[in-house]
Amino acid sequence: MSRWIVHLDMDSYFASVEQQAQPSLRGKPIGVTGKPTERSIVTAFSREAKRYPVTTAMPVWEAKKRCPDLLLVPGHPERYVETSRRFLEILKEYTVMIEVYSIDEVFMDVSQEAARRGGPVAIARDIQRRFRDALGPCITATLGIAPAGKAFAKLIGKRNKPNGVGLLRDEELPDLLRTTSVGEVCGIGPRIERRLNQLGIATLADLGTTSDALLRREFGVYGLFLRQLGLGRDPTPVIPYTEIPPPKSVGHSKTLPPEMRDVSLALLVLRELADKVAARLRRLGYVSRTIHCGFRTGILGPGYAKQATLALPSDDGETIYRACRSILDAIPVHPAEIALVSVSAANLLERGALPDALFEEDRRRDRLNGAVDTIRTRYGDGAIRLGTSLLLKPLPQHVGGFIQETWEFGPARGVG
Amino acid sequence: MIRKVGQSIDALVVYRRDQPHPELHAFRWEGRRYEVSQTNFVHTEREGETIYLCYSVTSAGDHFHVRLNTRASRWTLEEMEMEP
Repeated sequence: MSRWIVHLDMDSYFASVEQQAQPSLRGKPIGVTGKPTERSIVTAFSREAKRYPVTTAMPVWEAKKRCPDLLLVPGHPERYVETSRRFLEILKEYTVMIEVYSIDEVFMDVSQEAARRGGPVAIARDIQRRFRDALGPCITATLGIAPAGKAFAKLIGKRNKPNGVGLLRDEELPDLLRTTSVGEVCGIGPRIERRLNQLGIATLADLGTTSDALLRREFGVYGLFLRQLGLGRDPTPVIPYTEIPPPKSVGHSKTLPPEMRDVSLALLVLRELADKVAARLRRLGYVSRTIHCGFRTGILGPGYAKQATLALPSDDGETIYRACRSILDAIPVHPAEIALVSVSAANLLERGALPDALFEEDRRRDRLNGAVDTIRTRYGDGAIRLGTSLLLKPLPQHVGGFIQETWEFGPARGVG
Repeated sequence: MIRKVGQSIDALVVYRRDQPHPELHAFRWEGRRYEVSQTNFVHTEREGETIYLCYSVTSAGDHFHVRLNTRASRWTLEEMEMEP
């Protein structure tokens, strides 16, 4: 039985979904943003916009300079999540060996199904047809197929975008290895690429002829994986969605606009972030032992971060915030303003594995958190907030994400 | 360009056994009937416990965003799309 790994990547995903949902945007260069301000970034460009020299995560001001006709569209996460859910439902009809790599990328192992469905290319074409019927003509996917593994399926898919199907046969592999620079392959980032280039390794074929010993000395165990890539093999298995690994950490960060960078306001934002992290921990059923907190003094300014271990694992916002304050106090920098704050909770334990709180004060706090969660589930995230949030009156006008989703992404919105 | 409307409408809907959501066939707004020629996109939104089904539909070349409050079974015309 041949091994067939498929990489499916949705084309210009967020922009395509917006064009499908808003027909007046079709055929136009659009960029999807969080908020269409000059300070924001563009998270996705439509195919029409990609004819200009624009790249994902480019600042709005730069994108507009490079593509003067660019239409900025606020993103609608609920649309993307729903579309992903729908295309995954379709893919599940082909195989259970589906690894959800991101909201718009999936790996599939169709080795078992290929023979009875007319081969991997026939499966890929059928998936594209099903997507067209179920999701609409604007939402398309490119599929790369390779027996050599996930990295090569992704590589060949990238070369057949958009709305294409690429098949890399074993006999085509030597040519591909000779002509592909190491940085083009998934798994080799800019830093590793730079180090490989310094060693005189430019192409995958160069990597394949480099000794294990050298690669191991330079990159540790990862060097052995790199060598495999150089030999045209990616042994990484497709991990099916049914075996989702537990989260390693839960975190939130917020970039503050200039008028919100006063330290006292940034601390209020930090308190809200701690609350968000705690609420997510409770929803996922975890408690955290390690809190990581950091800030930046300018968008491109230096960043400072430290972590602290809690005396007892917690999923309480106040406890996480207090840990953050002690972390910040331990950082020997006292900035006049803060441009970005971040909080994350790591070293997670399942909540159910812990005994109930010993002290009445802690039990009371658990009950309070439970009641807040119930209210938010029933009436939305904005239904109950911290009293300190009232001090952040300008927040809804400037910083998104804290208020009930309807405020930022809901129906009462306009398109710029 | 989007024009906000936010007005209650009458809706003619078909519930098909093999469809995940009801099909909007026509709606009446300000005394005029709009036949839906194309459903472009449907997604769900949640506000507290209320789930909304949000439809992007085309009628006679115009595009509309219509929302069903599944709790109250009420339809609202939220927005009209106009060429930017």
